[in-house]
Amino acid sequence: MTKSTKIFKYVGKRLLQGIPIILAIVIINFFLLNLAEGDAVDVLAGEAGSATPEYMAQLRKKFGLDQPLPVQLMVYLKNVLSLDLGYSFRHDMPVNELIFDRFAATGLLMTSTIILAVGFGILLGLLAAMRLNTWKDAVITVFALITYATPLFWVGLMMIVVFSLNLGWFPTSGMTNIAAFYEGWDYVVDVSHHLVLPTITLSLFYLALYTRMMRASMLEQYGQDYVVTARAKGLTERRITYVHVLRNALLPVVTMAGVQVGALIGGSVIVESVFAWPGLGMLAFESLFARDLNLLLGIFLLSSMLVVVVNLIVDIIYCFLDPRIEVN
Amino acid sequence: MKKVLSSILMAGSLLLGGAAAHAEKSGGTLSFLVQPEPPTLASYVSTSGPIGLVMPKVYEGLFDYNNDGTMVPILAESYSASADGKTVTFNLRKGVKWHDGKPFTSADVQFTVMEVLKKVHPRGPNSFREVTSIDTPNDHTAVFNLKKPAPYMMRSFSAYESPMVPKHLLEGKDIKSAPLANNPVGTGPFKFVEWKKGQYIRLDKNKDYWKKGLPYLDRIVGRFIPDASTRTAAMENGEVLYAAYNAIPNIDAVRLKERDDIDVTTEGYSMINPMALIEFNTKEGPFVDPAIRRAISVAIDRRFMIDTIFFGYGKPATSALSSNFKATNLHAEMPNYPEKGDKAAANAILDKAGYKRDGNGVRLKAVLDLIPYGEDWRRAGEYLKQALGDIGIQLELRYEDVPTWLKRVYHRYDFQMNVNYFYQLPDPVLGVHRHYGTDQIRKGTHFVNSSRYSNPKLDALLDSGAGEPDAAKRTAAYKEIQQILADDMPVVNLFELEFLVVYNTKLKGAYGSAMGAYGSFREAYLDD
Repeated sequence: MTKSTKIFKYVGKRLLQGIPIILAIVIINFFLLNLAEGDAVDVLAGEAGSATPEYMAQLRKKFGLDQPLPVQLMVYLKNVLSLDLGYSFRHDMPVNELIFDRFAATGLLMTSTIILAVGFGILLGLLAAMRLNTWKDAVITVFALITYATPLFWVGLMMIVVFSLNLGWFPTSGMTNIAAFYEGWDYVVDVSHHLVLPTITLSLFYLALYTRMMRASMLEQYGQDYVVTARAKGLTERRITYVHVLRNALLPVVTMAGVQVGALIGGSVIVESVFAWPGLGMLAFESLFARDLNLLLGIFLLSSMLVVVVNLIVDIIYCFLDPRIEVN
Repeated sequence: MKKVLSSILMAGSLLLGGAAAHAEKSGGTLSFLVQPEPPTLASYVSTSGPIGLVMPKVYEGLFDYNNDGTMVPILAESYSASADGKTVTFNLRKGVKWHDGKPFTSADVQFTVMEVLKKVHPRGPNSFREVTSIDTPNDHTAVFNLKKPAPYMMRSFSAYESPMVPKHLLEGKDIKSAPLANNPVGTGPFKFVEWKKGQYIRLDKNKDYWKKGLPYLDRIVGRFIPDASTRTAAMENGEVLYAAYNAIPNIDAVRLKERDDIDVTTEGYSMINPMALIEFNTKEGPFVDPAIRRAISVAIDRRFMIDTIFFGYGKPATSALSSNFKATNLHAEMPNYPEKGDKAAANAILDKAGYKRDGNGVRLKAVLDLIPYGEDWRRAGEYLKQALGDIGIQLELRYEDVPTWLKRVYHRYDFQMNVNYFYQLPDPVLGVHRHYGTDQIRKGTHFVNSSRYSNPKLDALLDSGAGEPDAAKRTAAYKEIQQILADDMPVVNLFELEFLVVYNTKLKGAYGSAMGAYGSFREAYLDD
C-alpha cells in the first residue's frame, strides 16, 4: 500500500470515529443547555416590554418549545442529520445562514492569529534556545511572561488607546468602514486594516505560550543522544539546529496549536467584544443570554467538528515532520 | 442652545419657502450607536429599546412631539375631537407613499391600529383600549370611535409608540411572523437597506420623502459595539457621532463632556420617563406590612444614590409619578419621600410597628433581587444593603441573568423585594397604571403589577383618571392616587433616571423631538 492510500484510509476511519463523538457532544449539550432556567420566549417577551401569557404560549408553540424535551431532541437530531441546524427564533434566520455569515469573520481572525502566534512563537523560541542565557534569551523570556500574564481585554483597550486614539493608525472597532461601504479590492484592504489590532491582541497571548514551549522543546532536543552523534559526525551547529533539532522540537508545538483551535473560537469572545469583531464567539455569548438554544447548539456542533478535523490534520502533519511516525 | 434648536425646527418647517439663511447641509453619513443589537426590527410587535433607536427613522407615526410637549403633525395634518370626546377625526397627509411606491391611505391607519397595535403590540392594547372602530370615509380621513374619552391616547402617536405600517404587506398574514419584520417598508425619511448581523444596520435617504428637502443626511448607520470602553473610544475617535440610552456609561460621559467636540444632554427622554424603584411582594414574605415599606422609603438617601452611583444624573422621586407629569398637572409631591433619607424616622416607624431588633441589631432578613441590566444596579443594591442594614433590615443580594430574573419575579412571584425600573411613558395611564391596578396582576406578563397589590378604591380612581376628560377632575383623581400609594407603598419609587445622549457637536438638528433617540432624525445634518 502506498503512503497516500494509507493516509486516505486513515482519514476515512478517523472521520467515521468522529461521528459518535460529535453526536454525544450534541446530546450532552442539549440537556445541559435545557437545564438553564427560562427560554427564548421569556427573553423575547421581557425585552418587548409587556407581553400576554397567551402570546407567549403561542410563541412557544411556534418555536416547538411546548413539546417534551425528548421529542425536541429527536426533532433536532433529525434536522442535524439532514444538515439543517434549525431556526434561530431570536434572529429570525436559519442557523446555517447565521453561523456561515459569522464563521467567515471568526475564520479570518483565527487563521491570522494562528499564523502570527505559531510563526513568531517558533521564531522567538528558537532564537531564545540558540542564545541560551544571553540578554536576548532574557528579553524574550520576560516578554513572553508579561504578554502571557496580561489580561486580553486590557491589552485590547490599550491597543485602541495607543494606536487608534493617540496615533490614529487603525480604526477602534468593527470589520469594515461603515461610512464608506467599499467594494472589491478596497474592501479587502479595509477589512485587513480592521483586522490588525484584534489579531495582534489575540496573538500576543498565544505567542507567549508557543515561545515558551518552543524554547523548552528545543532545549530538550539539544540534550538527546542523536545531537551528540551528529556533532561527532562533524555536522555544523547550523545543520544540527535547523535540520535535526528543529523538526523534532516542532512536534509538541503543532500538537498544542491543534488543541487550541477549538479554544480559539470560544477564547476570542473577549477580543471580539472589545473590537466589535462580528465573530462566532460573541454570537455564542449573546445566544446564551438570549436562550437561543438552536443557535448555541449549532455553534457547539461546528466547533466540535472543527476540533475533530484539526486534530486529524495535526496527526497527518506529524508523519511529515517525523517520518518515523506512520498512520495506521 | 434651546434657541438654536427651535430656529432649526422652524427652519425645517419653513424650508419649503427656501429659507436660505440657515446652515443645514445635505449629505453625509451619520453613524450612531445601537446598543445592544436588536432582536428584530418589528417595532409594531416589540417596544424593545434598540428597535426604537432604528425603526422610527423608517416607520412614521401620525404625530411627533417637541421637547415642550407640542404635537408636530407627521402623517396626520390635524385632528379634531367631538364635544363628548368619543369621536376623534384625523386628517391625513396627502401624497405620502410607502417605500415600495404604494400610496399611504386611511385604510393603513385603520389596519395598523385595529389589527396590529391593538392586537400584537405590547402597549397598544392599553393605548387604544377605548377605540372600538375606525371609519374611513375617504382615503385621507380616519375617524376613531371611542367607548369612553381617552385623553392619554393623544400622547401615543409617535413613530416609536404607534408606528404606521403598510396594510398591503401584512393583511392576511400572521402579523407576528410576517416577512415585513426584517424587511421593513415605511413612509419615513430613511429606507431600510441592510442589517449585517453583529455589525450594523444601514438606512439610506428616502429620495421621495413627502416633505421636500428632507432628510438632509444621505445615510444613517446604526453600529453595534458590545464593549462599553470601545464604544467610548469610537465616540472619541469620531467613528460614531451619537449615543443614547447610556450606550456610553455615565462614568465616561462626564469625561467626554470636557472635550470641545463632544457634548451631553438629558433631553429627549420626557416621553419615556424612566423611574428606578423597588417592587415588593405584598402577598407573602417579610414585606406584607405597609409600615415596613414606608420605613424603607423613608430610610433611603436618594440624593446619595443619584450623586454617587449615577454621577448626578437623576432626580429624587417625590411621589409615585414622575415630576415630568407636572406639565399635565398630574404630579403632586407626597410625604414619605425625603430626598436625603431620614433613618431616625424610619427606625421610629419600625419601632412603632413592633419590629424588635435581636442581639445583632437585626429586625428582619430579606433577599433583594437586582435588575440584571448592568453594573450600576449592583452598586445600587450594595448601597441599599448598607442603608437598610442601618435600620435593622439585613439584606442578601441576588443577581441573576435576564431570563432567570424575569421568571422569578413575573412568573413565579418568588421574590421579596426587587430593584427595577419602569418607563412611565407620556401619560400615567400608559406607564403607571400597569404597576398598581388589580387588573394588572397578570401572572407571566412582564413589567406589570408583580407586587400583587390590590385596592378596590385605587382601582376606581385609576379608572376615573383614565377616562376623565375634565383636566381639573383628572388632577384631583391623580392626587388621591398618589396619596394612597405614598401610604401603602406597594412600590418604593427611588428616583427618576436621567438617561444621557452623548453626541458629537458636528451633528446638528437631531435634538428637537421629545422622542430623542427614538425620533426620525429627518432634520439632522452634519456641520464640519
